[in-house]
Amino acid sequence: MLSVENLSVTFRTDEGIVTPVADVSFALAEGRTLGLVGESGSGKSVTAKALMRLLPGTATLGAHSRMRYVDKAGQAIGIERLSPRARALRRLRGGEIGMIFQEPMASFSPVYTIGNQITEAIALHRGLKGRAARALAIEMLAKVGIASPERRIDQYPHTLSGGMRQRAMIALALSAGPRLLIADEPTTALDVTIQAQVLDLMRGLQCDLGMAMIFISHDLGVIAQVAQEVAVMYLGTIVERGPVRALLQAPAHPYTRGLIAAIPRLDRLEGRLHPVPGEIPSPSARPAGCPFHPRCAEALAGICATRVPEPVDLGGGRVVRCHLHTGERSVA
Amino acid sequence: MNGPLIEVRDLEVTFETGGRGLFDRRRAPLRAVDGVSFDIRRGETVGLVGESGSGKTTVGRALLRALDPTAGQVLLHGPEGTIELSALAEAALRAVRPRMSLVFQDPYSSLNPRMTVRDIIAEPLVATGLLRDRAEIDARVREIAARCKLDLEHLRRFPHAFSGGQRQRICIARALVARPDFVVCDESVSALDVSIQAEIVNLLHELQQETGVSFLFIAHDLSVVAQISRRVAVMYVGRFVEYAPTEALFFAPRHPYTHALLSAVPQPDPDLGFHPDRLEGEIPDPSEPSPGCRFHSRCRFARAACRDVVPAWREIAPEHFVACHFAEELDLARARP
Repeated sequence: MLSVENLSVTFRTDEGIVTPVADVSFALAEGRTLGLVGESGSGKSVTAKALMRLLPGTATLGAHSRMRYVDKAGQAIGIERLSPRARALRRLRGGEIGMIFQEPMASFSPVYTIGNQITEAIALHRGLKGRAARALAIEMLAKVGIASPERRIDQYPHTLSGGMRQRAMIALALSAGPRLLIADEPTTALDVTIQAQVLDLMRGLQCDLGMAMIFISHDLGVIAQVAQEVAVMYLGTIVERGPVRALLQAPAHPYTRGLIAAIPRLDRLEGRLHPVPGEIPSPSARPAGCPFHPRCAEALAGICATRVPEPVDLGGGRVVRCHLHTGERSVA
Repeated sequence: MNGPLIEVRDLEVTFETGGRGLFDRRRAPLRAVDGVSFDIRRGETVGLVGESGSGKTTVGRALLRALDPTAGQVLLHGPEGTIELSALAEAALRAVRPRMSLVFQDPYSSLNPRMTVRDIIAEPLVATGLLRDRAEIDARVREIAARCKLDLEHLRRFPHAFSGGQRQRICIARALVARPDFVVCDESVSALDVSIQAEIVNLLHELQQETGVSFLFIAHDLSVVAQISRRVAVMYVGRFVEYAPTEALFFAPRHPYTHALLSAVPQPDPDLGFHPDRLEGEIPDPSEPSPGCRFHSRCRFARAACRDVVPAWREIAPEHFVACHFAEELDLARARP
């Protein structure tokens, strides 16, 4: 239902042109969840915003970027070609592709009640008004596990606790009935017990509604529990993607291996942690060749620093961008 | 193991809320910390976990006398005797200040953008009057900066040019420059990416080995706390529910809340499964304290006694403290390895 090919995004900044997303390709089938993982600055959120066409005016999409989405009516839409003010884009946002952000306070208007905002989305995308819209809004609030939704619906966002607000935002996104939900770090600001409830809820709702999801997180633990497929991003590139179990248990890219090794685990008390050596370069100083080569212990001399690795198909739905898998040898 | 450095007895901190405003709706004072007792040994890291609003930060601040406890005692033991921190007057407190410090969560807002890195790190020495000679201050700043793996060339720069990890190393250098006995790290690695987080955790560990400083490591991320702490305390709505050596707390918890918290942490392995304990019911409001156990409204094992009687804080195994009426009988054996 969604296929992204060669997505690149560049920004004009005071320090010159930066490329937060470079040549990203992935596909998503109906009802499936893709986890997008990476550290800050890896381009996760920019990718999500590109899909919703929410990038600021200083951003440009690369000439070969393709974002093909098949809508509810079975029609293929080239998202990259929609004009920013087009009706089709407005229909797409919310009704076809919903989005949840990390900070729920920023997504609700403080001057309207929760109910006002949810019924507005329902009226816009589902054509229901008045009592019917209100009934559906109450139903959605109940579905996301908010107790006494008849009372909560008339409250203002600031009167809800953080966890409740995040759940109300999920209700808001879902009440428009999207086929694809993009969730950008939806549980990062929450306590673990609330996070567990929200994850449980999202998995349940996804089953009920048959909705596809792009779940963005820096937390591989969360991704392991919600996604079927994972894409690991580093400096704007997907370095590896594949089914979640295979990727986490036998990572193919040195960066993925480093990232997994750096995670503190509850089932292993080691005292010492294993950071990925080096630091993420600044976005304006993107290394040539493989973006990870300056930090990579296995980099091949004469190759990784000069040539950008092409995606290699490892079979079983796994793709990696790394010269170690192309049969290259060090050039002396 | 060394003897205690900090000893906390029945610590209470209450905040006045509301009142005097529109229509003067005076509310009951909020009991942020309600009778907490524990100790921290010399050279030890104690982890303090709990959800937002549980009172973790308030405990940290009260130990440093960044706010005044309402009741109870905080004692600081040292070679020259024991000082009752909680009772010191302002002047006497100033003399003790260099022995304690704090590392904040946000390495962006906790560094003054108009000061050089050198001046930021030197500030505790200057403010407390510990060192007055410029050359001596410089020498000490360079020494601690090198230990915190900062490039000495960077000391002349301003903090805006640095990454999150480097900034946090600056904050740590500042916290340790006066050779404190005790540092509170309040969510000090929570905002960092996992790789940088690992680096900072290792750095804290090394610095502790070298200097023998004690840490109170406050965090909501249990996995990080598990790696860095020798003992861990779990806090729930103003009270400690469990305090135990790390292994015991994570592999054989005795309080249902500790178990619920651990079960809610997703692990990066789909085969480990994810079956969080269901926590139903509302978190109690700390300004309307109920009798009995604070956790009873959400506890799946709650019985009549839990509603009415406050569970005693008791040691059920060496160094393993718990506040649950049924700690001995409940079978909380963790399904995970």
